[in-house]
Amino acid sequence: MSAGFLDIDCVKYACTCGLLKTLQQLYFCRYCSELRCTFCVSHEVDSHFCGKCCENLPSAEARVKKNRCVNCFICPSCRQELSTRAASKQPANPEESKATKRTYYLSCLCCRWSSRDIGLPDQTAATGSWPKRESIHSNRIQEIVSMYKGLQEKEKLDKEFFKKKQKEKIISYTDKTGITAAALRKRIGLPEDKPILKPKNAVKIVTPSKADENIDDFDEEVLTKSINLLEITSIDQRLLQPDVQPKEISNIFPIQKILSIKRSLRCRRCEHNVSKPEYNPNSIKFKIQLFAYYHIPEVRIVTVEPLRAGQACELILKFTNPTQHQTTVSFLPFDSPIEVKEAIPEEGAISQEDSLEELDKSSLTPSKKKSSSGTKLMSLVDTHITLTTSRSSARALSPRSIAESINCTVDIPSSTFILPPRDDAAEYDDFNEVHNIQDDKKLVVWRKSNKAYIKLVVTPNEDMPIDTTVTTGFTMSHLYTNTIASVADNKKPQKFNHNMRVILKLGKSVGLN
Amino acid sequence: MPLYEVEKSTIVLDIGTAYTKFGFTGEPVPRSIFRTQVKSKGQLRSLLDYQDSQDLYDMLVDFFHDIYFKYALNSPKDKPIVIVESLLCPIIFRESVAKVLFKHYGISSLLLLSSHLVSLATLAVETALVLDVGYKEAVCIPICYGLPMINAWQSLDLGSCSIHRNLQSLLYEKNSGAESLSEWILEDIKVRCCFVTKRSRAEQLSLSKPELGPCPEVKYPVEGNSILRVTGTIREKAYEILFDEDNDHLCLPTMILDALMKVNVDLRNQLAENILLIGGTTMAMGFKSRLKEELLHHMKEERYRKLNIKCFKFHASPSKENYTAWLGGAIYGATDWLNTKALTKDEYFEDNRLPDWSDLKYNTRRP
Ligand SMILES: [Zn+2]
Ligand SMILES: [Zn+2]
Ligand SMILES: [Zn+2]
Ligand SMILES: [Zn+2]
Repeated sequence: MSAGFLDIDCVKYACTCGLLKTLQQLYFCRYCSELRCTFCVSHEVDSHFCGKCCENLPSAEARVKKNRCVNCFICPSCRQELSTRAASKQPANPEESKATKRTYYLSCLCCRWSSRDIGLPDQTAATGSWPKRESIHSNRIQEIVSMYKGLQEKEKLDKEFFKKKQKEKIISYTDKTGITAAALRKRIGLPEDKPILKPKNAVKIVTPSKADENIDDFDEEVLTKSINLLEITSIDQRLLQPDVQPKEISNIFPIQKILSIKRSLRCRRCEHNVSKPEYNPNSIKFKIQLFAYYHIPEVRIVTVEPLRAGQACELILKFTNPTQHQTTVSFLPFDSPIEVKEAIPEEGAISQEDSLEELDKSSLTPSKKKSSSGTKLMSLVDTHITLTTSRSSARALSPRSIAESINCTVDIPSSTFILPPRDDAAEYDDFNEVHNIQDDKKLVVWRKSNKAYIKLVVTPNEDMPIDTTVTTGFTMSHLYTNTIASVADNKKPQKFNHNMRVILKLGKSVGLN
Repeated sequence: MPLYEVEKSTIVLDIGTAYTKFGFTGEPVPRSIFRTQVKSKGQLRSLLDYQDSQDLYDMLVDFFHDIYFKYALNSPKDKPIVIVESLLCPIIFRESVAKVLFKHYGISSLLLLSSHLVSLATLAVETALVLDVGYKEAVCIPICYGLPMINAWQSLDLGSCSIHRNLQSLLYEKNSGAESLSEWILEDIKVRCCFVTKRSRAEQLSLSKPELGPCPEVKYPVEGNSILRVTGTIREKAYEILFDEDNDHLCLPTMILDALMKVNVDLRNQLAENILLIGGTTMAMGFKSRLKEELLHHMKEERYRKLNIKCFKFHASPSKENYTAWLGGAIYGATDWLNTKALTKDEYFEDNRLPDWSDLKYNTRRP
């Protein structure tokens, strides 16, 4: 992999959870002001739809339909979608009716399989009329399930009865009248009188399966008849129909297509959405999308001098500010500690979130409701605390160390530089660029609107062999303007420094010249 | 199933070495059966080929992501799940599954069930000898009145994997290039061409000059450019590895007999007349009748004279053998066990690990 201007894979940002991702793969939770990625957010099913006909199904309906579309089928031979084909059938007797009848069958445009191949009769309606198959064992299994349920209920009753009985015993032993009937029975060696237990509904015991001595699973024909591979199903084709698992191609059956879902992503720490799609399956838009690309300065590699072990060389990076606010970027050593905020949101944070309810109503969690109900009994407060801690320990993922070793050092510049806000209009304004930013000329090579070209000096490790991938990194600190709080409280936007680690793959090392 | 129960149905998983069976409680058939593999680091990898616990954890996160968002289409948070597992499941695997489910996906409770034990539920019987022949190993456990006789269990490294290795070396004798066949092609050849032959034919085939005509040869096309010759002998011999005694004189049928030797005398006949075969490998054509033939043959040996068993009987479960254990889980999961015997989130976070099999509170009798 060579480091190039358009190659975005060579610049990776370390997510709060420790995984390395490109900026385009990251989310930025504006409430926590932290990077998030698909690994460390929680995923939720938002809506169900069919990927072929785009029908939207409420989740309860999807569940009843076993998460399959009623109208769309996939090919049992090659798993591609089947298309419904219309055929016109000439009436057998031309005098009877002049109108030709339209019938429909399913056909695969990929492997040419069709529902006619298995002798499935054509249907008169285009959708919804294809026969459904039930497992031949479903009645028996249903009976077994009800039996086990019943037995459990009975056992529960037995236990309760036994407990009651024990209680009675204790009472009767302490009875003033002395010896009890039960104790007496025991003494003279009679069994305890056990009343017959009556569960609410008598459990219907199914006949247990009977094992058989005669087995007939060998077909003599296999020894003489040659087989045609095209008539025998593959294992994948069999597993598409788990109940039948047909061995012959002639027994495969169209498969109802599995539905697709839209997902919303939620920050685990503050439970706000970082991504929420629109409900309509035809829409590719989002109601909420907090991509890091819109909040974090983008770093790209422009050029790098040939990399030689132990020799300093010049690296030019391009920084772009995607936000509407001016920012200041500074560099820190790669290993400098990054404070990670506590997993438990503070009280203040909660009230702030509550005022933002209209943005995201579903973010209210049961424990938060409890705290706002205002009961201040000591015991209740205690349970509340244990609740939140157990919940957050359950939800918080412990960050991992970064799985990349740095083999090239960066001379960390002491000066900082400014990135002006993004101005879409300026993109078209090629001339008259005036800026009065006092730059450290050693650091900033060139700048234009919200972009700056920065010169760094990097030195690959002394002992590096030729043709090794050179990896370097630094901690980028940028001034982030958080507008979330200002919307809610009519306060000034909060400004603070946000730090993250950036890892650059500069390319392969070369030999000395 | 009544509508109100559809709402409550819970995911049931049987994560096999080769295939995962996925479905919901109370249903008679799994919704899907698919290979136990995930896309990780840019390639398809088997879930059980993990390098270390971190690698396994990451693969399990991806695996369950597919389960929830590709198959179940359901959010995992605060919902229970039923997992059917083998008694031989490595501890690191069980612990990682629990960690991923509780920590990463925030499930409410986990019901772990032993595959041998729950398979009996599909028959509505309490006593049977269960032989599971899967991908990596074959495990035989007698179960008496709902209790697994752990002291009598037998296991051998016999299963699809050893059949594939055997098939590969047989193919290599007749075809150059067979050594590079992928596991999936070998599996396909096995499934479509091979079968378990009769004992009398197997004896002949093992001789240098067999006195019988082989079954017809199959020409198997590989990747559209070459043809593999799958001779009649190969077709019949692929499964023989299961019945050939190894250096310790052990093979599939002796596992059953050895297990019977280890149980009480008065249970032996009852178990021999209640054999349940589970696992995909037992679905091969001719497998059951051959196993019975072999059992009767080995009974003549001196070491099993004490057994005094006259006949062997086999159960037929209301399922295909490769998902019998899953079905058992689906039956148990539909009962109150899901509420009373599952490990809850709070219990798990108390000491952040799973209880041992031996002191699992649900490791008791039938429901
Ligand atoms: Zn992350
Ligand atoms: Zn559809
Ligand atoms: Zn097709
Ligand atoms: Zn957050």
